[in-house]
Amino acid sequence: MSAPYNAWRSATSRLILIYGALFAGWGLILVGIIHWESSRYLNGVVDQMLLQRMQYLAATDAQRLPATVDAASRIDPHGIMSVGLFDASGHALAGNIARLPAALTVGDGVHLLEQGMPRPDRPAETTRARAVATRLPDGRLLVLAKDTRTVDGLGAVIRNALLWAISLTVIPGVLGGFLLRRGPARRIRALQQATEPIRRGDLAKRLPVSHRGDELDQLATIVNAMLGEIERLMGEMKSVCDNIAHDLRTPLTGLRARLYRARQQLEARPEAAMVDACMADIDAVLTRFRALLRVSELEDGHRRTCFGAVDLGEVLRQVHDFYAPLAEEQGLRFTLELSALPPFRGDPPLLFEALTNLVANAVKFTPAGGRVALRAAAEAGAVRIEVVDSGPGIPEHEREAVTRRFYRGDNSRCTPGSGLGLSIVSAIARLHDLTLDIGDNGGAGTRIGLYGRLGGDARGEASRPARASVRHAADAGLAAG
Amino acid sequence: MPTVLVIEDDEVTAREIVTELGAHAIRADWVADGRAGLERAAGGGYDLITLDRMLPGLDGIGVVAALRRMQVDTPVLMISALSDVDERVRGLRAGGDDYLTKPFAPDEMAARVEVLLRRRRQPESNRLQVADLELDLVRHVAHRNGQQLNLLPTEYRLLEFLMRNAGQALTRSMIFETVWGYHFDPGTNVIDVHIARLRRKLEGAGPPLIHTVRGTGYMLALPES
Repeated sequence: MSAPYNAWRSATSRLILIYGALFAGWGLILVGIIHWESSRYLNGVVDQMLLQRMQYLAATDAQRLPATVDAASRIDPHGIMSVGLFDASGHALAGNIARLPAALTVGDGVHLLEQGMPRPDRPAETTRARAVATRLPDGRLLVLAKDTRTVDGLGAVIRNALLWAISLTVIPGVLGGFLLRRGPARRIRALQQATEPIRRGDLAKRLPVSHRGDELDQLATIVNAMLGEIERLMGEMKSVCDNIAHDLRTPLTGLRARLYRARQQLEARPEAAMVDACMADIDAVLTRFRALLRVSELEDGHRRTCFGAVDLGEVLRQVHDFYAPLAEEQGLRFTLELSALPPFRGDPPLLFEALTNLVANAVKFTPAGGRVALRAAAEAGAVRIEVVDSGPGIPEHEREAVTRRFYRGDNSRCTPGSGLGLSIVSAIARLHDLTLDIGDNGGAGTRIGLYGRLGGDARGEASRPARASVRHAADAGLAAG
Repeated sequence: MPTVLVIEDDEVTAREIVTELGAHAIRADWVADGRAGLERAAGGGYDLITLDRMLPGLDGIGVVAALRRMQVDTPVLMISALSDVDERVRGLRAGGDDYLTKPFAPDEMAARVEVLLRRRRQPESNRLQVADLELDLVRHVAHRNGQQLNLLPTEYRLLEFLMRNAGQALTRSMIFETVWGYHFDPGTNVIDVHIARLRRKLEGAGPPLIHTVRGTGYMLALPES
């Protein structure tokens, strides 16, 4: 049977997940590049500005420099721009920088100070800063710095935007993906259901193809074309088999007739036994051919003309009556268990034929001293006809195969028979919309049952839709036996 | 000597039928065409007609239907390559008395012809008798040597068929068709067991009456024959 449907096995789900991950990853990289590029650009602008200002201050008259530095530091109420003038030994002379930070290098262009610029007016703040220090010709040190909060703020803005974008993309994406996945999943289930009768051998069935013409439809069309070809080949094989059986019957019957005449002339001479054996062999072959053609005839399924209300109880009584002497002869207890049965729509001779085949098998394979029961019951609009025996039973792995043409179980190799009995039963069951089921009789023996619905059409002539029922007589079984 | 009209377009089959019937002391005339066959049959003088289902001119169903319309009640054995049960039903419904599928064993064909001939010759009676065996067709009881036999309904029907055709070899499929009323191949051993049971019941009261006919089936006949 098929594995339970797994949501994460769905090709769509997987595609959506992989695609989503790629998309998110690519988004991150893209935003990272934007972040990096814009930071670099802004830093460049800041650096440019710092260098310009440094140039301007350095060009100021040496006497007025401390005053200018102080003036510049006063117009910085937010602590963004730092400016300071230090003497050669590093003591602050002017500006808003408390002391020279250790990480500051002189004459090395603009660089980043992770610890920020120590400010006497903001002792607690350690915002990163970009700084530049220049040694003036008189040995004093001029320091300029601008903290990076603008650039960092931009980073935060970009990060937030990224988070929003991802949540706005991923959440509807996952939801949408889930919804999208349901469509194909439903269609896969429909395809799976459509294959059930095909798997059971009804090769006339096809997979549903929608008008969309998408990948699933293309696949279904390919499979349907394949099924058509298989059906054609199976049909050809079947008709070849039938033709062989049909054509060989005439010469074999002629041969048998000649042997019969020879036998009559031989009378009691010793050669007579050999002729008898030949005739018995020919009869066995002819029986097989007859059965084979009978299966084909039944499978063609044109036989609903003789359908009418059937007294199943009466048919079962006849079957019991017919087989009781043989069962008794073989030391078996053969019982008939009937409950009240409403009329069933069918063909009495066919039902008789099917049931005698089932009983024949039970009687054939149950050892002496065993039991065989033929029983029928109707309940809740369903009918159940079963043949149960205390014989060796049919192994589970052979249960489907036994209804195929010529299949003979390991236990039956030494027993005479056409190997077509269950194929005949299967074909008759199908004509009656009955399901043929093979099981065991409570752990031992065999239970073969025909199960069907009684429905209200015991009288009506309305043609019923051909419900999917057993059709095991797959011609592939020719090899067995 | 009974005379049979063989309406059959296949020469090989026709010759086979004529030869086999000859071996059973039955004279046979052969006609290969449906229309000519109908004319001959309507002219009377035949005890039985074997009729091919598919014929040039007028087919077998048409011939038998026309005969019955003309109130000709000569028994008709339909012989057909169509084995479908529906075809059998159609043939019998049109007025055929028995139906045999091609290819057939000649002895089976002859046996069926003889059974049909005998049915026609048999006078209406309330009882059948073969040697010391008596069958009361009204009360459905059998006696042998004045001793009543305890028969089940199936055994009674089987005995009736055998007694009606005493001295005639009957195939298993003829027995199955007449006694059980079904037309398929039930396998030989089931019928054999039914015969064996009946045989035992008969032999409880006298010498064997039911004989096995090798390669064909069974025959109820006098112990001497």
